[in-house]
Amino acid sequence: MKRSTIEYHLKSAVDGLVPDVLDRIDLKTPQDPAPLWQDENERGKVVSFGKRFRAWGAAAAACLCIVLAGNGGYNLYLNQVTDSVIGIDVNPSVELSINRKNQVLEVTPLNEDARIIMEEMDLEGVDLNVAVNAVIGAFVTHGYLDDLDNAILVTVTNDSVSKANVLRQEVVEDIEESLKENEVQAVVYDQQVVENDEVKELSEEYGISYGKAYFLQELINQNSSLSMDDMEELAGLTMEEIAARITESSYALGERTEIQETPAPETSETPETSSEEESSSEESSPEETTTEAQTTTEAPATEPETAVEEEAENRLKIDFVDYNNGILSVYFTTSVKWKDETVSIRGENDESYAAMIEETYSDSCEIRVSGLEGGKTYRFSIGGVRQRQDGKPMSVSGTFEVPVISEEATEEETETAAETTEPETETEASAEETEESSSAADTSQEETEPATEPETETSAPEESSSQEPESTQEESTAAETENTEPETETSAPDIPESTKDQAEEQDGAGYSAHIEEAEETAQDAAPEETQEQ
Amino acid sequence: MLFMAMMSLGGEKPSPDKAGGRQDTDEALLERVGKGDEDAFRQLYQNTDRTIYSYILSIVKNVQDAEEIMQETYLKVWTSAAAYRPQGKPLAWMFTIAKNICYMKFREKKHEADVGLDDLTGEETGEFCPQLENAADKLALQAALEILKEDERQIVLLHASAGMKHREIAANLKMPLATVLSKYNRAMKKMEKFLGKEE
Repeated sequence: MKRSTIEYHLKSAVDGLVPDVLDRIDLKTPQDPAPLWQDENERGKVVSFGKRFRAWGAAAAACLCIVLAGNGGYNLYLNQVTDSVIGIDVNPSVELSINRKNQVLEVTPLNEDARIIMEEMDLEGVDLNVAVNAVIGAFVTHGYLDDLDNAILVTVTNDSVSKANVLRQEVVEDIEESLKENEVQAVVYDQQVVENDEVKELSEEYGISYGKAYFLQELINQNSSLSMDDMEELAGLTMEEIAARITESSYALGERTEIQETPAPETSETPETSSEEESSSEESSPEETTTEAQTTTEAPATEPETAVEEEAENRLKIDFVDYNNGILSVYFTTSVKWKDETVSIRGENDESYAAMIEETYSDSCEIRVSGLEGGKTYRFSIGGVRQRQDGKPMSVSGTFEVPVISEEATEEETETAAETTEPETETEASAEETEESSSAADTSQEETEPATEPETETSAPEESSSQEPESTQEESTAAETENTEPETETSAPDIPESTKDQAEEQDGAGYSAHIEEAEETAQDAAPEETQEQ
Repeated sequence: MLFMAMMSLGGEKPSPDKAGGRQDTDEALLERVGKGDEDAFRQLYQNTDRTIYSYILSIVKNVQDAEEIMQETYLKVWTSAAAYRPQGKPLAWMFTIAKNICYMKFREKKHEADVGLDDLTGEETGEFCPQLENAADKLALQAALEILKEDERQIVLLHASAGMKHREIAANLKMPLATVLSKYNRAMKKMEKFLGKEE
């Protein structure tokens, strides 16, 4: 049988055999449900596992997100929190709120001037130094800072004193740099403050910035010649005008305030004006000096020093105060550092006198003051001094008494030489003048002669002719004058001795005795005496 | 994923191959059967009855048993269709069901009568296939069932009787095509030799 035949027969056989069992299959038999491993379900299971995994993953991711977001969010939150507020007052007042990264969060113009300027600027998110630069630049371009006298008040508000200190130095540096770039000179008052409701109320009441309010309040507190009544007037002034006032009246600044001056000497207001005043007072004093020089000659005979009253702040104490011939020497118990030192001297009626710190030493300073009257008590306050160890700038104040002029001397001399000049001396706030003033008088008289009243002219020529050479010599060396002026010895001996005695007493009491000065002053008297004679 | 699978099935559908086309249809039918579609089941039965019967017969070598097993197989297909996991081989799945039922039957018979398979078949082959009128058909089938080994019988019957291609057989019996071909050739040579001797 061939293969094909076999195949055919096999096929035919099976064809004949295949039963039709279809009808016998009971299709009513319930079908088994799809088992779990079956495709769809299995896949579903896989999916569900995936889902579960995904769910866990999502949960874990969510947790991670929450942690990260929490952390990051907190950081973000911190970056949105105002850390410090920098106030810049010229006349436009601007407040820059910054975060802990020194990025500007908010710029608040505090008056109309500032609003106009700030409208053009978007400083949010900008670094503080850039913002400060921009603000100063804008002030310059808008003409608020010009070639003339300028004053800027920088106020740093931060809860942390150290942070505020750092920040304020940074800002002042930024401002100084910016001023230099803009070729503008200005006095920069910088202060660090803490939030204070009282000051806040003040600032709201007068519509000025917090910094300015604080500054003025400090100014008023520090200067008894000012009262809160002046606040209204001062609040209306620009910083430039306030600065002018300060220098004019030699107001002491708040202890938290520092003055930075831009390099240009013209703008160094505080010291300069005081020196101007000094010089002007000196200029005006010559008239008196002719008479007063005599009066002061006796001064050493009386008590040159006075009770010392020191304001102890952070252990910075005044050891003693010594007033002699227009020089007020203040000695401290500890060594000190000086920075932007200021001084103000006021009388009993709060009138202020021109004063200037002439020299500063490690434990003392010499203040040149003019226009003081003998026998009266004056109050001085020195700013910009700090203890060497503890670098906090502060101000100290105390009182001193100008020695009473000895009766005889004044009487004699005024009778003889100062007759004509008497009225002037009275008008000149009865400044007690020292040998310097007398010498200054001599030298400056020439200049001031035309300006001075005719009365002085009558006496001046004589004095100038006779005194000039001598007084200049006196200036150069005290010893010389002694030698050159034998006559002085006649009258002088009594005086120095008495001063010496007193000085010794004072030494015992912790005061310094300036015998030299006493001698000098004694010699000062000499010329007059010679004149008289 | 399911959609992708459907797409890939859809891609196979336009195959010009008749058997392949039928298989794909079988697959679709089987899925419908899984959802309780009786028409699909009938259609599936029509498509596969000869193949399944040939397969069962090749195993049990007994027409009566084959008929019974075939019935049980289709019932099982009906009840378990939902569990079918489409993978392009519905016949292989059905063969597995049939084979399992065959072996179950053998165990039962062996248990009941405590006799070997050979005894059983021998018993029944005494009067081989009385339903077959054609002696040549009867002879050929008997020869195939008696002289060939099981895998040879499967291949020969599926190819010659059920009309499956060697490739399909190879796929559904999970054998390499070359094996199927060589086994078939050897089996047919045996048949030729045997039937030639007989003649």
